[in-house]
Amino acid sequence: MKRATFLIGLATALTTGLAACSGGSPSGESTTTAGEDVLAQIQESGVLKVGTEGTYSPFTFHDPQTNDLTGYDVEVVTAVAEQLGVEPEFSETQFDAIFAGLEAGRYDVIANQVTINEERQSRYDLSDPYTVSTGVVVTRTDDTEITSIEDVEGRTAAQSATSNWHTLATDAGAQVETVEGLTQSLALLKQGRIDLTFNDNLAVLDYLKTTGDTDVKIAFEVDEGGEQALAMRKDSGLLDAINGALEELRANGTLTEISEKWFGQDVSQ
Amino acid sequence: MNERIQLVLDSVVPLLTGAVAGTIPLTLISFTVGLAIALVVALMRLSRRRLVSGAARAYVSVVRGTPLLVQLFIIFYAMPSFGVVLDPFPSAVIAFSINVGGYASEAIRAAIIAVPRGQWEAAQTVGMGYRMTMRRIVLPQALRVAVPSLSNTFISLVKDTSLASTILVTEMMRKAQEIAAPSFAFLELYTLAAAIYWVICFVLSAGQYRLERRLSRYVTV
Repeated sequence: MKRATFLIGLATALTTGLAACSGGSPSGESTTTAGEDVLAQIQESGVLKVGTEGTYSPFTFHDPQTNDLTGYDVEVVTAVAEQLGVEPEFSETQFDAIFAGLEAGRYDVIANQVTINEERQSRYDLSDPYTVSTGVVVTRTDDTEITSIEDVEGRTAAQSATSNWHTLATDAGAQVETVEGLTQSLALLKQGRIDLTFNDNLAVLDYLKTTGDTDVKIAFEVDEGGEQALAMRKDSGLLDAINGALEELRANGTLTEISEKWFGQDVSQ
Repeated sequence: MNERIQLVLDSVVPLLTGAVAGTIPLTLISFTVGLAIALVVALMRLSRRRLVSGAARAYVSVVRGTPLLVQLFIIFYAMPSFGVVLDPFPSAVIAFSINVGGYASEAIRAAIIAVPRGQWEAAQTVGMGYRMTMRRIVLPQALRVAVPSLSNTFISLVKDTSLASTILVTEMMRKAQEIAAPSFAFLELYTLAAAIYWVICFVLSAGQYRLERRLSRYVTV
């Protein structure tokens, strides 16, 4: 009996100890999430912690040659960090876990084509938009039946759960399967497991250009033009500084420059 | 705060539906098929024929040496390259069955070896052949020994089925994600899912205890 009690005590001690170690942020210093002043912390530590997917080309992905994390969003948020006089530090996670990570204080900003919508506005601080783009619906090349948003009704789509596209597809009456991201959606589409997928015009064009894939096509554009922003925890005290930095980057032409580099056009306004 | 508690309460039924429609059938079917595979593989490994035991050894090595998530992805995403396009649920059943087959075969093999040689010899003296001895004398005794490790595999499988959410199977974890996505209530939903998994495993552990007692009823120590 004594031994059992001892073992239980030991187990409890171990688990709480582990929990204590695994809590907090990846870089060791703890991040507060209530009534916080993140800006002061960032300036003190010299690090802006950023959450991103790392699998969503051309916005945030690993260069096949160098394996470095790069992309439009990565460069924009890096420039923002520089404006604030700090270094960016990236945490990569799948999109469906990205907001959970933000709330848990694992990073302070999401740079991942977060489309501005009401729901997100009410829960998070969203910066001024740094991308303006249209949504498109992708189908198989030989599919001639889906040509407008009305045709989406009753079809199957694949989207990541927390994405704006998921909402659009659901609203259009599609049966939506949940996947991690665009790559998987396209795989399912080509395998004939789904009929279509909604995504960002820029991402799809980039995919078609870099892979030369002729099995899928852009069927049509959706009316809802999307505006994408950097996301922060509500009232984290970071919004004004981030917006100020974006404004400066817009004024001095840096945003346009980064955009031209990735898309050959200015998508930043 | 109150609306978040309300959300958790409202989510209990959908999550249980996910468990009853996805997690539980996935576990039961996969475990049954996996156990059948495991028995065959265990007997193959005990075979004197090099080729037969070698094949079984290779199978166990591959299953235990690769991540379950990778196995799921290969069956679901890679098989279509060879012209095999399976629906999510059957894909998951195949992956989990193969996985259980590998792990459980080792438990069964160990249990068979644990039956004293004297039992074999005694069976042979009364004229029983290999099949008869295996079926009537050795396996019933081996089963008793194998229950704890097989229960381990079974309980692990319950939780492993959450991985099927990555290949479009609507089970409990997927339900939790579906509700968490629009409401952003990740902590609440994942905690609720964890609690339900725990309850399921708790019930199974109790079942294991009773089964062990029942199987030991003729054992005199």
